[in-house]
Amino acid sequence: MTDGAAVQVRDLRMSYGATQVLCGVDFEVSYGEVFCLLGPNGAGKTTTLEILEGFRRPTAGTVRVLGLDPAAQPARLRERAGMVLQECGFPRQARVAELIDLWRTYYPNPRPLGDLLEVVELTEARNTQVRKLSAGQRRRLDFALALAGDPDLVFLDEPTTGFDPEARRRCWAAIENLRRLGKTVLLTTHYLDEAERLADRIAILRSGRIELSGTTQEVAVLGGLATRISFTTPAALRRGQIPLPDGIDLSVCGSESVCHSGNPGMTLRLLLDWALRHGLGDLDGLAVTAPSLEDTYLQLTAAGAGLSRDNGDRP
Amino acid sequence: MGQALIEQRSFWRSAEYALFTFVFPLMILLLIGAANVGSYLPGTHIKNTTVFVPGILAFGVIVAAYVNLGSKVAVLRHDGVLKRIKTTPLPSGAYLGGLLASTVATAILLTAGTGLIGWLAFGAAPRPGGLLVLAAGLVLGIVCFASLGLAISSVITSAESAGPVTYASFLPIAIISGVFDPTFGGLPPWLSHLVDLFPVKSLAQVLQNAYAVRPFPAWDLANLALWTAAGATFAVWRFRWHS
Repeated sequence: MTDGAAVQVRDLRMSYGATQVLCGVDFEVSYGEVFCLLGPNGAGKTTTLEILEGFRRPTAGTVRVLGLDPAAQPARLRERAGMVLQECGFPRQARVAELIDLWRTYYPNPRPLGDLLEVVELTEARNTQVRKLSAGQRRRLDFALALAGDPDLVFLDEPTTGFDPEARRRCWAAIENLRRLGKTVLLTTHYLDEAERLADRIAILRSGRIELSGTTQEVAVLGGLATRISFTTPAALRRGQIPLPDGIDLSVCGSESVCHSGNPGMTLRLLLDWALRHGLGDLDGLAVTAPSLEDTYLQLTAAGAGLSRDNGDRP
Repeated sequence: MGQALIEQRSFWRSAEYALFTFVFPLMILLLIGAANVGSYLPGTHIKNTTVFVPGILAFGVIVAAYVNLGSKVAVLRHDGVLKRIKTTPLPSGAYLGGLLASTVATAILLTAGTGLIGWLAFGAAPRPGGLLVLAAGLVLGIVCFASLGLAISSVITSAESAGPVTYASFLPIAIISGVFDPTFGGLPPWLSHLVDLFPVKSLAQVLQNAYAVRPFPAWDLANLALWTAAGATFAVWRFRWHS
């Protein structure tokens, strides 16, 4: 497989009747990368994944997964790609190790059982009946089954939705183990911290479009959010003895003064010049905060829920 | 084949399935059979049990193929197990083939058990000339009710209702078909004709023919074939891997 990317998506479109679910999605996932499709519910994450898994045929666009066309070659794809669907049950009578062993028989080159149990931290529960597992353990068993064929690529659809913090932490540990094994991982989530914690690269999907993609920092910067500059309000300013700086939209909120800037270097220079002119020294408590992924995401999704939905403009 | 063995193992491990599929028909065989010992069909020299035992054979085939397979597939579908199978490279045909093979094995075991107990306890055995009809009836019966089981699994809306729906959809018909009571009668003619149209009565009559001489059950065999075609068509048309 020398085509460069594990997953290639070009101008992917999907409609159900008159409803457009995906309106031209593009992204690539490199080999060995943990890639996260982040977005609110209904953004089209699961639809995208189902197309990549070969469960749905797209209305338009091209999709290559491990060099294969998923809709045309589902069997070959499934030998090399593990899939964890959002909700998927187990046979009622099965025990953990037995079920994993059964799944291993479905693949040409299975991973050893002990190895699989270890990766998902279920070695101790190997003889437990599946129906007695906790939600977190069940999800890790999902991972083990998806890994049974020693796939190159693993799809995870909202792997920790509805979990308590401890279950999430262990689930994340299992995903970290996948990275360590060199697996390419494509996961979807609507949890920001999950994306931030696990992903090498993120694409934010909203209303069937990729709004932004890149590393966590890139996404935050690309979001076009301003850098926040704050400092302790000098006494003279609070008492109104000196004027506000020119060219800066400074707001004085009690003991703290804050401004936002798309060009923080310039703003800082203006600010420090002003401080110097009025004998304020270096401005106590000066802090420059880069925009976070969270700020970007909240701004994007808030815009999605708001009035700008129809015109399709970026916020 | 491996898949069939796995399905058999999981079948026997499930107390619920094993109990209802095996214990229930055999219990009915012994209890109602005992009540019929020494009685003859009115105006004949045919023992009640000679007709009753093949009736329970039919009942066993229906429980193993229709109830068991139908509810099993419905539960697998609603639990998302079928969907999960689709994420693996295992061909769909191999998986479904395993389920069907396991169903056939269950039906054969239950049939053999019923026949054996019927012979040992009540002396009811197929007549020598009836073995071909017996074999034809069992094969056609299993295929027919397995296809109807697959068909009904597609209209069951929850895992919880799988057992009740499969049982309730045939038990009343089995009762008025006289499966549990060889002397059952007195139905209004329209209802009696209606019951004749269902495959339950047809299967019972084919198997009864193999035990006691009756007119060759051409209509019943044809009727079973018709229901098989209808069931298989519906099953294929409506089959879904997810709920």
